[in-house]
Amino acid sequence: MTSQERTVAVLGAGTMGSGIATVTVRAGYRTLIHDLDDARVARGVDTVRGFLAKSAKLGKLTEEQAAEASARVEGTTELKDLAGAGVVIEAIFEDLAAKRDLFGRLDDIVGKDTLFHTNTSTLSVTGIAAGSALPERVVGTHYCNPAPLMKLVEVADGRHTASWAHEATIEFLASVGKTTVVTKDRPGFIVNRFLIPWENSCIQALENGLGTKESIDAAVTGALGHPMGPFKLLDVVGLDIHQQVATRLYEQLRDPKFFPPPMVDRMVAAGDLGRKTGRGFYTYDDNRLFGS
Amino acid sequence: MSDIHNVAVLGFGTMGAGIVQVVAASGREVTVLEADQARADAGLDRLRSFLDGGVQRGKLTESGRDAVLARVHPVTDVTALAGSDLVIEAVTERADVKRELLGRVAAVVAEDALIVTNTSALSVTDLAGAVSNPERFAGLHFFNPAPLMKVVEVVRALQSGPGVVDRLVAFVEAIGKDPVVVKDRPGFLVNHLLMPYLNDVIAEYDAELASAEDIDTAIRLGLGYKLGPLELLDLIGLDVHEHATRSAYDATLDPRFAPPPLLQQMVAAGYHGNKNGQGFRTGKGNAQ
Repeated sequence: MTSQERTVAVLGAGTMGSGIATVTVRAGYRTLIHDLDDARVARGVDTVRGFLAKSAKLGKLTEEQAAEASARVEGTTELKDLAGAGVVIEAIFEDLAAKRDLFGRLDDIVGKDTLFHTNTSTLSVTGIAAGSALPERVVGTHYCNPAPLMKLVEVADGRHTASWAHEATIEFLASVGKTTVVTKDRPGFIVNRFLIPWENSCIQALENGLGTKESIDAAVTGALGHPMGPFKLLDVVGLDIHQQVATRLYEQLRDPKFFPPPMVDRMVAAGDLGRKTGRGFYTYDDNRLFGS
Repeated sequence: MSDIHNVAVLGFGTMGAGIVQVVAASGREVTVLEADQARADAGLDRLRSFLDGGVQRGKLTESGRDAVLARVHPVTDVTALAGSDLVIEAVTERADVKRELLGRVAAVVAEDALIVTNTSALSVTDLAGAVSNPERFAGLHFFNPAPLMKVVEVVRALQSGPGVVDRLVAFVEAIGKDPVVVKDRPGFLVNHLLMPYLNDVIAEYDAELASAEDIDTAIRLGLGYKLGPLELLDLIGLDVHEHATRSAYDATLDPRFAPPPLLQQMVAAGYHGNKNGQGFRTGKGNAQ
């Protein structure tokens, strides 16, 4: 395998970007994390190394494996440093113009056969691909949070995605240990397409007095076997995130089932965003996530 | 503590047998009414085979199984229910059948005996109208399979008297289940939330969002659900879901409950899911 095939560039050093970089270094790829300033880049690299160190402590990786994987991650603020990447994975904030601009600038830096992956959760893959002069190389690859722990990646082709790019993407994701499902370039792909109306309907049921937050959570976990009731889950996801994703889906689909119910706006206005602020539907003594 | 000791169950089908097992396992005597001896025997066989499965898996001792069976008394004569503290109706999901039977049972049991329905698709308030003293009536909605599912919805009818719901909550706790008190709305709470989600998935599958397998995989891995929506529909039975969501649609005219065209067609074609090997993920109905 050439060094280009073994090098991955991740755009965006936030939660998703550093999570995806953790996945690729763990699978043996040299990975460059790009962000706008040194502080963000350093934080992203630290997040990757911190996760790997913890994996070693928990016995999920040997000390040697963790050290090797840690050595494979580097950071940069210069796009030109990404020239050798065989796969570029975009995981910046959800802004269409910014994503398109990045792909357009990378066209002149990377090789013509470099894959462009976008981790967008709510924007159109086709719309983002239009930023590249070679939209046939752009594929939607939607990871779940936290990326190092969740097996699923939703794969969605844009209108102009070439079959070679699709097939190479499935192969790449298998090589980093992910399970792929193939879906269409439609708002929310599969998981958010069904999760957002579900959560909204649970919030409406609460507002309509069909149950209490406790009784609805208990009924859903007890009768449907979900790992978390809808309100516990919303507190983990964050009410602000739910509001953003739901609003974006609504703006594209114009179907009221995607629109966040008024209770969400009130909770966001009050700063009750969920676990991260210590209060959402429930109150928390601490703001730890996933028991970490 | 529950003041309910003698329980009658109407109907020894899948749900009836499951409820009988749960109640008998709690140490209570259970009288089960069926239309004829053949059906009563079939119900007893169903219960016995389920209990035998528990013995084989080491969940139950042989003497435990025999003790449960000894507390179960199948009957075909409604007058045998006279001494019941609580009657749980679990016959076929047809309002006319349930109303007729509930009326006859109400005439036999004591005036203050509680009567509940295990309907999932019909209005509890409407069925309450079939019994004398409807203030003693409510819904007690067990999920299938009843011995395994922890939640029981306690449904307050418009007529349910003060104290009735509290007595039922205490009873549900006494038989080892988790009660959730809900309003008498189509689908109550769980199915009220579940049916629009399942209909939405069917419509998007029909609109070729992804293969049935990939939709299920995405939901299982992405959300950690035990079952994806299409394999869940095959398990529930497409005919059962179609009937329930149609009833909810008729009661609300809310389009989220409207049975999607593909569901209607699969039911019309006789594709009922796992029970006849034809559904979204199995057999000929698998349109992938």
